[in-house]
Amino acid sequence: MTTKSVILEAHEIQLAIDLINLGARLQFLEAQTRLSRDRLIKLYKELKGGSPPKGLLPFSADWFMTWLSNIHSSMFYNIYRFMVTEGKCEPIVAVIKSYRLYLEQTEQQGAESVLDFTRAWMLTRFFDADLLQLSTCTRCHGHFVAHAHDPQSGFVCVLCRPPSRAGKTRKTTTGDSGETQSCINVSLEPI
Amino acid sequence: MKKNEIVNEVADLNLSYLLLAQRLVREDCATAMFRLGLSREVADLLGSLSLSQVVKLAASNVLLCRFRFDDHAIFSSLVHDDRNQALQQAHASILLLGRRSKRFANVAYINSLPMLRIAPAIDHNDD
Repeated sequence: MTTKSVILEAHEIQLAIDLINLGARLQFLEAQTRLSRDRLIKLYKELKGGSPPKGLLPFSADWFMTWLSNIHSSMFYNIYRFMVTEGKCEPIVAVIKSYRLYLEQTEQQGAESVLDFTRAWMLTRFFDADLLQLSTCTRCHGHFVAHAHDPQSGFVCVLCRPPSRAGKTRKTTTGDSGETQSCINVSLEPI
Repeated sequence: MKKNEIVNEVADLNLSYLLLAQRLVREDCATAMFRLGLSREVADLLGSLSLSQVVKLAASNVLLCRFRFDDHAIFSSLVHDDRNQALQQAHASILLLGRRSKRFANVAYINSLPMLRIAPAIDHNDD
């Protein structure tokens, strides 16, 4: 194996701690750090007080297309893009910083953070793999997450033209007590 | 008398803006650039100013920070929006970031990273 640097290892452990605290899955930690699986599991148990969840990572790019997920993932990816292009951050640092800002923003809006950390990372990977792209809305000129190679002409975003059922679930129609946040806390069926 | 008050208030606001901006930049430059809407060069410069420079800069009768929704179309669509607040803010933040990248982005750098490219809006005006 390569020569071990204690300082480098300390950095890696700090990175792993940050990632675990943000809710990263084990597969992600293995991909991003050079720490061994056993050490990562140990670290995870120490921080979270339980074993890391097992099973596959979410792998569907379609998830990012449903109404609310699209709003949240567009919000996140716009921040991430800014961090890489303007902030000149390393991709992994950019993911961490932009995910923190995304959490802060949803909290400020009183909304639930629909996008979890693993999905946020998957989102950036889908962009790297050219499965997704940012499309520009013809009405508001905002940039939104869309399938790569989708036709661009006349693209209108989910906020300018929300689907008819958007935000209208049982929760919002019966439990309407003047709460402004309740609308964004709903989940929608894929359209 | 009244005029003096206004000038004082503007100078006070300038000073607190500059001090806040400086603190944010020194803490975490990239995050500060996102919050303040500044380019890297400006953020670096702001972070390197000495206190006396900040005080001198702040003592002005014009505001040093700028209103970020300076596009009338975007601003009015957000204000005249009857949706709930959370959605409105989500939309606002997406639009602000989109505008920024247009104004400051280093085009050559972005085009060297294919995943960061943005597909332009093609409007056929069919509606």
